[in-house]
Amino acid sequence: MLTLYFRESGSGPVHAVQGAVLSVVQPLQSGTARVTQPFRNGWNWVSDLFHAKSENGQLRVEVRQLRAGLAQQLTTQDENAQLRAMVSLQKDPLFPKGLQMVTARVIARSTSAWYSTVTIDAGSNAGIAVYDAVTNGDGLVGRVTKVSPTAAQVTLITDQQSYVDAVVLPGDLKGGAQGILAGSVTGDTTLQYVDKNAKVQVGQYVMTSGTSGRLQSVFARGIPIGQVESVGRQEVELYQSIAVRPFVDFHKLDLVQVVVR
Amino acid sequence: MMPARKQAESDWQWPSAGSVARLAAVLIAAVLLQTTVAPNIRILGANPDFALVIVVSVALIKGSETGALFGFLTGTFVAIALMEPFGLSAFVFVLVGYLAGRYAETADLSAGFAPLLSAFAATFLANVLFAMAQFLLERQVPFGFFLGRVLVPSLILNTLLAAPVYLAVRLWLRGAGDLRVVRAR
Repeated sequence: MLTLYFRESGSGPVHAVQGAVLSVVQPLQSGTARVTQPFRNGWNWVSDLFHAKSENGQLRVEVRQLRAGLAQQLTTQDENAQLRAMVSLQKDPLFPKGLQMVTARVIARSTSAWYSTVTIDAGSNAGIAVYDAVTNGDGLVGRVTKVSPTAAQVTLITDQQSYVDAVVLPGDLKGGAQGILAGSVTGDTTLQYVDKNAKVQVGQYVMTSGTSGRLQSVFARGIPIGQVESVGRQEVELYQSIAVRPFVDFHKLDLVQVVVR
Repeated sequence: MMPARKQAESDWQWPSAGSVARLAAVLIAAVLLQTTVAPNIRILGANPDFALVIVVSVALIKGSETGALFGFLTGTFVAIALMEPFGLSAFVFVLVGYLAGRYAETADLSAGFAPLLSAFAATFLANVLFAMAQFLLERQVPFGFFLGRVLVPSLILNTLLAAPVYLAVRLWLRGAGDLRVVRAR
């Protein structure tokens, strides 16, 4: 069964059986997820209460920083619009403008330490396809890796086989430092292949770059990913290694939005 | 005289419809608990493995053949529900179900620690097999992470979970009368 599964294509008989059985199991999972939702909310409320005081202080500092940055950003946005108009620059999709979203609920989650995946209650019937980006109100959650008619598997950006083209913002005149955000088995995310000479500081924002080399990335440009937590530069290394703290709390995932193409 | 094997084959009976229905209910509960409830319970950085502990409990109560079949079905349905590679969980749970069942058939289970010991051994075996499979699939398997963040927390959690889950499964499969008999002994 294992050999068949790994050797056949995504539309093979074993995958088809999996999809068909999932269509039967999925309503049960949805029901159980809804029944357990109040308990989950209650538990999250209690655990949030313990962290509320320290979080409050952090958020106050963040609000001050964001307020200071907002005026600057509005001015830059205005200038940007004028310059774009002057050079007739074609607009490419920038998250979330011009993108079609499908809202779905997380109905199951892998408890295996080796896989960081969740199952959502919407699939190909809702227009979802493999490689679609998945977000929530906080930022990038992951990408769709398997689809059945009524459900889809989402591989989180913390999974060890997740790679996202990302950029560190704000950048300099040449733009932000670009790299590839990779997950790991421990659940940590690092921005790899960032030029050693690029200036990256702790606290800067990491977003999807929308490009993969000369090609377009599967992730739309401008989806928030996280903040730079630490920067590691070594003389012997060609690239710097940047630890990124994702905005999304992956233990509290509930509703997500799939960016359909 | 009839050979021992033929005697055993003639003794074997198809389970009743009621027994199959009860096992099916346990199977559905195991899959739903594992995929929708367990991910929300995080202690010592690990999640409890309801499916594994339930497979062990069923095998201890029903024996190796039923245990292996129940393990296969549980592993298959968990893989389907999570859209994970088909067959890996089924293979591990077949082994766990069969071995736990054989333990029940050959050892004295009157000691209260039998479910705990079985859950401990099953968790160890399952985690080692899953880690080996990940290694074969060319995924990262750091030994320190496996030991500190996977194996040890799972061993503690699943062993603690074994007693209540075993009691609940036994109560469901055999009825309250069975527990009264044990208490009377």
